[in-house]
Amino acid sequence: MSVQLSETEPKLLPGDLAIWFFIFMELLVFGIFFIVYAVMRSQNIELFNEYQLTLNRELGMANTLLLISSSYFVVRAVHAIRGDDVNRCVYWLYAGLAGGTGFLILKAVEYSDKFSAGIGLGTNTFYMFYLSLTMFHFLHVVLGMLILLAVVIKAKRGAYSADNHTGVETGASYWHMVDLVWIILFPLVYIIR
Amino acid sequence: MKITYNIHLIWVVMMLLTLCSYFVGEVGSGGVVSVMILLLAAAIKAVLIIRDFMELRGVSFLWRAIMYGWLSVVCLSIGIAYLVSL
Repeated sequence: MSVQLSETEPKLLPGDLAIWFFIFMELLVFGIFFIVYAVMRSQNIELFNEYQLTLNRELGMANTLLLISSSYFVVRAVHAIRGDDVNRCVYWLYAGLAGGTGFLILKAVEYSDKFSAGIGLGTNTFYMFYLSLTMFHFLHVVLGMLILLAVVIKAKRGAYSADNHTGVETGASYWHMVDLVWIILFPLVYIIR
Repeated sequence: MKITYNIHLIWVVMMLLTLCSYFVGEVGSGGVVSVMILLLAAAIKAVLIIRDFMELRGVSFLWRAIMYGWLSVVCLSIGIAYLVSL
């Protein structure tokens, strides 16, 4: 299925303008977090390289594949509602939520492994950054899923159609931001050494 | 000029770039080249998300400048911090 776009006057941002200011603010916070992590790493290379090896890179990769796929499902939901197909829109939103649920489950497995080994925020600088950064993102995944859930409920009540689907685009935009920051977080924390 | 893009292909490309990033991390022992590959792969995926998932292709310059500016500053900062630490 291809999507056609004409390149004339600028398009409007998809969804509510308000969500975009919220997205920009979140990106600013995550951006600062990433840069502080990179600077801290450059000042504690041995520590970061040593303890990075204790991270479960496979779970991190699986989570990246899940979040990208979940984002793709949500794009399909937006395309479906633009075609006035509410059922397919709801179906793809559920698929997106399933991807998010999978992400949270794998993350919980990863954390329980660390906590049961006695690792916590106070263990050392690396773990403090790893746990606080990924937990901060975890909370955003939860918030993003609550937003998508609200969209599903409204969609099932018939609130959206081809002529009126701003809410779907709003939820989708936030969810894509959650995916976008993980795309940077995964290589930065799990792989770069 | 009409632009067509295939959202399914974009998804597949992003999945493959993720697998590549993972294997770059597994086979190599780190170092400048692998870090630059990782940052490039992350930047490409981020551009695809911003442009085609978020659908910011064709919105006004200000919004695109904010998003791509953010991405550039973050990726460059990570790269510079890494190079400085060598």
